Amino acid sequence: MGTAMRIQPVHDARAYPAAPEGAPSDAPAGAASATAQAVAVRPVAAPARPVPAVRFARLMRREGPGLLLGALSICLLIGFWYLATTYRWSFYIRFINVPGPVEVFQDASRLFGNEQFMTNITISLRRIMLGFIAATVLGVTMGLLIGRYRRVRQLTFPAMEILRPIPAIAWVPISIMLWPTTETSIVFITFIGAFFPILLNTMHGVATMDSVLVRAARCLGASEFALMTQVVLRGAMPHIFTGLAVGMGVAWVSLIAAEMISGQYGVGYFTWEAYSLIEYSHIVIGMLVIGVLGLLCSGAIRLLARLVMPWQIAAGKENNR
Amino acid sequence: MNATSAPGRGHIDIQDVCVRFTQNGVPLDAVQSVSLTVNPGEFVSIVGPSGCGKSTLLNIVAGFLKPDQGVVTVDGAPITGPGADRGVVFQQYSLFPWLSVRQNVEFGLKMQGLGRSARESRARTLLGLAGLLSFENHYPDQLSGGMKQRVGIVRALATSPQVMLMDEPFGALDSQTRVVMQEILTNMWQQLRLSVLFITHDIEEAIFLSDKVYVMTARPGRIKAEIPVLLPRPRTPDMMSSPTFLALNRQLRALIREESLAAMGGELGEGGLAGHDWHVGAEGVGAML
Repeated sequence: MGTAMRIQPVHDARAYPAAPEGAPSDAPAGAASATAQAVAVRPVAAPARPVPAVRFARLMRREGPGLLLGALSICLLIGFWYLATTYRWSFYIRFINVPGPVEVFQDASRLFGNEQFMTNITISLRRIMLGFIAATVLGVTMGLLIGRYRRVRQLTFPAMEILRPIPAIAWVPISIMLWPTTETSIVFITFIGAFFPILLNTMHGVATMDSVLVRAARCLGASEFALMTQVVLRGAMPHIFTGLAVGMGVAWVSLIAAEMISGQYGVGYFTWEAYSLIEYSHIVIGMLVIGVLGLLCSGAIRLLARLVMPWQIAAGKENNR
Repeated sequence: MNATSAPGRGHIDIQDVCVRFTQNGVPLDAVQSVSLTVNPGEFVSIVGPSGCGKSTLLNIVAGFLKPDQGVVTVDGAPITGPGADRGVVFQQYSLFPWLSVRQNVEFGLKMQGLGRSARESRARTLLGLAGLLSFENHYPDQLSGGMKQRVGIVRALATSPQVMLMDEPFGALDSQTRVVMQEILTNMWQQLRLSVLFITHDIEEAIFLSDKVYVMTARPGRIKAEIPVLLPRPRTPDMMSSPTFLALNRQLRALIREESLAAMGGELGEGGLAGHDWHVGAEGVGAML
């Protein structure tokens, strides 16, 4: 509608120069000057305006159905939530005490101004960062060494294999004993969660790397150190990023569990405390915040992967399906 | 060619080399007392049936493998491991997929500690020679097989090695690309005149490129014959129909055929092809091959 109405005066204006000069009286003169302006603007705007519009239309035709389904998926979830809580459904699963979406969003908007709630978020993020960075540095370094040197593998891997199946949450009690502060013990549990996926994927990356690349590098005069940092590390990069993505997921699981059990502060602590204090809407807010933060963290890793591995994008190796 | 007297740059000397493997606990000779020489500036090919140990020999010169017996020297110095003095071109292109074409070429220079601008200008010069300058910022996965292998050759040449070792470098290319690559290689060699040890199973390729062709026997690999190629330089594709070329081709084909038959002897049974001659018809064994 809007576009159709805007096009109309342009048509008039185009006709105008052909019309006799003296014809318009006062009132049409005002209209004429307005249309003349439209004419003046049009040559500049005309080439620019349809192109983004066409591009947008094309984009919508390609991506539209996907976006629509995505929006539908979220609407269905919220719709179900709304219906279940409004009508207090109870069929084995009970929605009697579950807060509805309206209540949750109202409380959420209030909470985001609350300083203590924001502190909980920043503390959780700081724990994730510290634990995850430590796990990345140690996991990648050890993965490269274990993957490349048989003796290192023989020395360290059996011990790793014993520790690996122990879930990070099972480390909570011993972690509290080991570390001087609660804070460091929670960071340690986050670290444990992220460490093993990163280690194993790095090792796998080194193992599956084409050995001819190592040979080629040695023929070109690469020292052992250069070989590790410029060939083995780079070659294992796609697998390392798989490890980082998995590790980030497990780090969040471990962090939230640790915060719920032993915590002070943090989003996990906030969520569990809400349950104890019968602030039911806060439980859901805590859950949603955890979900969004996890999503942002894995998005950051994907972005980093694109920046660090431009050759994967150039070669069209990214899996877009 | 020019100097068998003074051991100049790029002189490969392989003396009485043996390589043993153990297969199911049984020691097996892969290469048996092989001696050969690549004189400075000479292009030498090794041909032979598959599994004869041609690549094993090249791996020894490259420094990936230690012989169980014998001495291998380059310019008089024994080989202790891989190094930039010997450029290697592999059959699998072996380009670093995370580096652009130019960065691949610069890799060896970077390892030598050369500064950025010096690396860049040397890489660009060489890429220009190979007709790849417009692809300098592409990644290897964006190139065709022939282009990848040109980058591989340029990368091996960048550090100015004394010798080039090439292990069936065109083996993975289609036959048209192969012929073009052989021309490019012989032209580049004509300008650079460094020693080349070239492994191939393609007889025409060996004759077209080489000053000297060694024929190896089936396992255990030994040197069966040393055939000098007395075609003039620079080589051009029309030489491939010259009488000299055709005579050499026939001679080498006959030598290799004997070895291929020997290698297949085990599969064909005691009599070799003799037991099958009722299949062969009036033309005899030759027609079947």
